[in-house]
Amino acid sequence: MTARLAWRNIWRNPTRSLVVMIAIMLGIYAAMFMSGFATGMARSYVNNAIQTMVGHIQVHVPAYQEEARTAYYLPNPSDLSAFAKKQEGLAGYSLRTQVMGMAASSHGNRGVQIRGVDPELEASVTDLDELLADGDFFGETRRNQILIGRKMAENLRVDLRSKVVLTFQDLSGTITAGAFRVTGIFESGNTGFDEGTVLVRQSDLNRLLVPVDSLLPDSLHLPESHLIAHEFTLLLDDPGQLDTIQGAFRNAFPGLLVENYKELAPDLRLYESQIQNISIIYLAIILLALVFGIINTMLMAVLERIKELGMLMAVGMNKGKVFSMIVLETLFLTLIGAPIGILLGHLTITYFGRVGIDLSAFSTAMQEYGLSEQLFLELEPVVYYQIPIGVLITAVLAALYPAWKAIRLRPVDAIHKI
Amino acid sequence: MAVITTRGITKTYNPDTIPVHALNGVDLDIEKGEFTAIVGPSGSGKTTLLNIIGGLDRPTAGEVTVGGQAIEELSDNQLIDFRKDHIGFVFQAYNLIPVLTALENVEFVMLLQKRPASERRERAMELLRAVGLEDKIHKRPSELSGGQQQRVAVARALAPKPTFILADEPTANLDSTSTAQLLDIMAELNHRESVTFLFSTHDQRVIDRARRIVTLVDGRIDQDVQQSQPASS
Repeated sequence: MTARLAWRNIWRNPTRSLVVMIAIMLGIYAAMFMSGFATGMARSYVNNAIQTMVGHIQVHVPAYQEEARTAYYLPNPSDLSAFAKKQEGLAGYSLRTQVMGMAASSHGNRGVQIRGVDPELEASVTDLDELLADGDFFGETRRNQILIGRKMAENLRVDLRSKVVLTFQDLSGTITAGAFRVTGIFESGNTGFDEGTVLVRQSDLNRLLVPVDSLLPDSLHLPESHLIAHEFTLLLDDPGQLDTIQGAFRNAFPGLLVENYKELAPDLRLYESQIQNISIIYLAIILLALVFGIINTMLMAVLERIKELGMLMAVGMNKGKVFSMIVLETLFLTLIGAPIGILLGHLTITYFGRVGIDLSAFSTAMQEYGLSEQLFLELEPVVYYQIPIGVLITAVLAALYPAWKAIRLRPVDAIHKI
Repeated sequence: MAVITTRGITKTYNPDTIPVHALNGVDLDIEKGEFTAIVGPSGSGKTTLLNIIGGLDRPTAGEVTVGGQAIEELSDNQLIDFRKDHIGFVFQAYNLIPVLTALENVEFVMLLQKRPASERRERAMELLRAVGLEDKIHKRPSELSGGQQQRVAVARALAPKPTFILADEPTANLDSTSTAQLLDIMAELNHRESVTFLFSTHDQRVIDRARRIVTLVDGRIDQDVQQSQPASS
């Protein structure tokens, strides 16, 4: 009977009840949308970084991570490749030769990281091959091709077919240089990467990097394959396998430093760790606002029914039942509004998670921060548990004060209230 | 044995500021099956006395015993249960639950008493039939006239088989026809079910039908008379 009374009571003033339900619905919808937006942005940042720069796991010699010197190359890169081929759950791997140097055109020069890659392997760990605005991804057979970012091209005022000279130290420490022809211009969506990194074929870079044997310092022992690579990057099919695969490489190559993207880029770890916090913060702010809205409504509902509540207590409805009735009324209002809000929120997240939201109007700012122009909404599954729990707590909290006011009434006073 | 006994009941409002003495030592015995009207001018203490006898208010001093139970010994929660099982209320403004139908209103207190559904339904139907509303059982209060609502209120008050029924100015909002119908019904139920009725009223039509008339003046019993031949409809 208490539940039936509560249910009918909320429909005594349908307009007011509907306003509260819609407020709850919109509040939850907004919390989910904002949370999905923020999660999508954070995920976009992390994924961009993983797919253009870091990968999921990288292997280096320990000294390379302290100082990225040319001489700190991997001693046995082909062993790493062979081991990777035997691993399950890998989307791809790439051996990278990396040196710091200068890129110069007839109009200027810039400090750059020169990344020497095997195009086929690199395409398996990054999506740079799909992000070319002009040209192609090492599609020509000629030597000394170079891919540069759009921003770099603007800085050096070069275009496709233009010549760029790269200058850097070879393994002997001697300054060496090579002329490269621009065959591709990429737009990774990350301005920092686009203006600071150039890609060349690994074989071209190796040729310049390894001096003639007579000039090679005695302390350096080239790998059997004569392949100089400083970084071994892995991309996983399932990021959930991160710890397993990282552990396998650590066991197999104890002398090398095997790090995941969170260890390599603390900002990524921060972003990832904040994804859940963002949802909780948005939810908490909105639910806090809702608490006061619901309290206001329920208090009005109690105050305009003082006489009736007095009568209920006079004829024998105990305080526990009166309290439960008010709490149930609040719960009903919430339990109608909340599922609709969650459903609408879920549909929106699903839809924009698939087609994305076009933010190209803000592309410059987005790229500055390493974000994609197309933002795909995403919600951590745990949010779907947090919302109902949060809403339930909110409803109960919001009901407490009005319910307490109701049971504090003295029937004798309440009945005679005009 | 008296169903209701009051001894030396006093009630003082605002004792610490400007004291108002609503009742000044009321001694009263109401026997089972009485049909008694408490009358008196406004401010004489009628409603206060009914509130105290009904366990809605507590006296400043004195004792109230209902069915052998001294109600000042009961806590607030025990009083609620006591009222549920022993006292039926009929209010001036009907005070039905607006979201329940006539049938549900009558069943309500029996539901609080945890009576079985079939018993509740049977009793509620019987009472609504007795008050002439068998064709209105699914109507909500807003769909009933004032007289009909008050008849539902009488049925509700009788439903839990209380020790007595308190009716505070039950006809104050009713027209002559509705008043006559209501008084007939209450008199009939008083006779048939031996339920004790205690009214507070100004209404001469009610006073005429009462078998005992207790007159309060300034919080004291001024007169207590039995009518040998109450008026009938």
